[in-house]
Amino acid sequence: MDAQLLISGVIFGLSIGSIFFLMAIGLSLCFGLMRIISLDQMLYYSIGGYLTFSLSLATGSVWLGVLGGLVVSGISAFAVERLVFRRIYERELTFSMITSFGILIGGIGIIKFFWGVVPRPVPVPIQIQTGIFGTDVPVYRLVVVAVAILVYLGIWLFLNRTITGKAIRAGIEDVEHVEGLGINVSRLFTITFIIAGSLSGLAGGLHAPLIMVDPTMGLEVLAFVFMVVIIGGLGSIKGTLISALIVGQVVSIGSLIYAPLAQMAPFAIMLLILLVKPTGLYGSALLKK
Amino acid sequence: MLKAFQWWRGLLLAFSLLAVSRVFLPLPFVIEVVIFSVYTIGCSFLLGRVGFISFGQPAYLAVGAYATAFYLFYFGTNPYVGILMGVLAGVAVSSIVGPLFVRLRSDYFALVNLALAVIVFYLMQKVLAGITHGDNGLWFLTNIASTPMLDLSRPSDFFIFSFLVALAVWAFYKYLDDTVYGACCLATKINEDKLKFLGYSNYRVRLLAFIIANTTTALAGAMYAVYLGFVSPEMSSPSRAADPVIVTILGGVGTLYGPIVGAFAYTGMKDVISKFIGNWELFIGFLLVFIMLAGEKGIWGTLQPWLAARFARKTAVADASTDETETRR
Amino acid sequence: MTSEEILTVKGLTVSYGESKVLFDMDLGVGPGQIVACVGRNGAGKTTLLKSIAGFLKPLAGTVTSGHVSLLGHKPYDIARMGIKYVPQDKKVFSDLTVGENLELGSYATGDYNWDRITGYFPKLKALMDRKAGYLSGGERQMLMIGRALLGSPKLLLIDEPTEGLAPSIVSHLKNVFAELSKSAALVIVEQNLPLICAIADKVYAIKEGRVVAELSGRDSIRADVCERYL
Repeated sequence: MDAQLLISGVIFGLSIGSIFFLMAIGLSLCFGLMRIISLDQMLYYSIGGYLTFSLSLATGSVWLGVLGGLVVSGISAFAVERLVFRRIYERELTFSMITSFGILIGGIGIIKFFWGVVPRPVPVPIQIQTGIFGTDVPVYRLVVVAVAILVYLGIWLFLNRTITGKAIRAGIEDVEHVEGLGINVSRLFTITFIIAGSLSGLAGGLHAPLIMVDPTMGLEVLAFVFMVVIIGGLGSIKGTLISALIVGQVVSIGSLIYAPLAQMAPFAIMLLILLVKPTGLYGSALLKK
Repeated sequence: MLKAFQWWRGLLLAFSLLAVSRVFLPLPFVIEVVIFSVYTIGCSFLLGRVGFISFGQPAYLAVGAYATAFYLFYFGTNPYVGILMGVLAGVAVSSIVGPLFVRLRSDYFALVNLALAVIVFYLMQKVLAGITHGDNGLWFLTNIASTPMLDLSRPSDFFIFSFLVALAVWAFYKYLDDTVYGACCLATKINEDKLKFLGYSNYRVRLLAFIIANTTTALAGAMYAVYLGFVSPEMSSPSRAADPVIVTILGGVGTLYGPIVGAFAYTGMKDVISKFIGNWELFIGFLLVFIMLAGEKGIWGTLQPWLAARFARKTAVADASTDETETRR
Repeated sequence: MTSEEILTVKGLTVSYGESKVLFDMDLGVGPGQIVACVGRNGAGKTTLLKSIAGFLKPLAGTVTSGHVSLLGHKPYDIARMGIKYVPQDKKVFSDLTVGENLELGSYATGDYNWDRITGYFPKLKALMDRKAGYLSGGERQMLMIGRALLGSPKLLLIDEPTEGLAPSIVSHLKNVFAELSKSAALVIVEQNLPLICAIADKVYAIKEGRVVAELSGRDSIRADVCERYL
């Protein structure tokens, strides 16, 4: 294969992997701490994308749109947590899965109501290309990767250096014991959920210029984000990062070799990994409850 | 004799109501309801009896539909053989992926199934486009030959056929509930360790349930294919993945008649509401959330105790045992 | 039973789903008392502690501390009222360091004075930066109890503290419990009868979810008496 094609393929894979990572980290944290599977993260992703579209149209700045998308997704996540999830934390996993799917479907209805069903383009905020090993690479994709790296570092610092983060890590091990110490865990839940929703919104905002925003954009990434989470292991941040990188590369390099592979290959890899380790790369068996 | 009647009573009542509705409601609607309820009972069984939620039912629907379509498009003309092909494909695919999937925890199970649906979607849309004609789909309505007795190429005969198939499917699932195997399924949902101590293999119980449920789904796919004379990848599109789950919840999880009631309500609402507000997702999504928050009983789950109470007052106490099996959720 | 009591349990009935596990239990703990609960595995001892700490919602009965009812409060509220539950199985947060484990206790109570803890358990001082997952069973138990001491609780509910620990650590814990009872009341679920006989002021024997005997006074708390209820 042509070296230039390969390099641009790797960069493409890194940027896609970064988007997947931003979304999967929220799903993974929510599962780890609250033992819920929050499919509505895909809704915050769409909200992020659509706000980026509308705000960039209104203000001319895509970055302002991304920021607005992040904030509004965070607020939506907060509202959903208070109205819905608060009532179902005690229930089994399947329960949260079905309920959040309802939120996702309903949310798609709301998006269709406001923005219609036609896909909308979002301009790429940085048009210039840069040369890497003699290959022209869009700078915007590199910025997406940089944002994901910053988020990873931020999350790491938050979890390891702040007391709230430490409480979240402790809660991932055993929520009951955290509460027994006198810590208000429902506040922790809310914080985690807002972080997850905002990151999904950020992912949607960053992804929007690379695709067109359309009402079912959340459903289109759903399977990939799931694959990332499954391969990495539910509840593990490190696993999520690694598997997002793997899935991003597989999608990108796979499509260079043979286009339909982009969708099939991650699935095949997921099956292989589950065959060897049913809880994913870094998911521990202890998580079973 | 009396016992046999009691066993069949609920089934016959449900299906005679369905048959009667044929008179009042448009034929396509009733056929849609019948096929949809067959489609859903597998999902309902997995969720209510084994505790596995599957967001991947469209995968098995498409497997059944495409197997039937391939036969009718490329090889033969007999719709019955086509449907048989669909069912066999369902058995084959679920036997291949089942051993891997049922080892997983219920959360991973749901995710993996959904991923499978996406894969089947792309398989049909792109990878196998040479034989599936991609998004254009396969049209074979004119290939379906008229058959003696029940002519499946005629909608009214097809209704009778689908009606009989559904009745058989329901009798089968009701029979399953009564067997030791049905009890094992419930046990593996509630307490897999205890079931293990009793000497049953959770793995085998689940695998069998997985194959039964998904073969039923493939059967529904095969029926769709013959009825519409057309298949397209749209069938297994991820955005349709929620349909069977919604209908299951709508009807009442794990109840025997939930899928019928749910399919009826869902198809009906879809027809009526999309005429008025045109924003179908909004409505169905929030309905789903509402049902879950209100105690996940669904329509049938709410109606049924009430009906049972009214019915019990009229009949003798003697049939307590049959009522019990019906009330079991 | 006077309102002077740190903890008063009356008619407590608890169920898991359909099946009842505690029946009409009465219990009283006075200030500075060490109360032991003995009974076989599955008798309902842990359920009792969890119900007091707010993790389980009783079907009937009252749980009060002083004049305040504990029922309807969230577990973290109860912990902040100074009633701390120390669970069994020595489950520390293994991914966090010893220091971080203590930090969480401080964060919850606003009490950052760790000298009292290291006073009771000098061994912890050298382990502050170690991941709690690498501690020995005894060290974990010290950390669990130390963590609970932050905020100077008035009542400690300790579940099986000496299970599986070496005799030297058990006797260390015994001294700590005796010392603690000067400032707080303790309810200890324990199978170690010599320990109970040495420090307990009152013993409740629990069998199949009911209190079957209540022993108080040095003379009646004897190993051979307690043995009957095991």
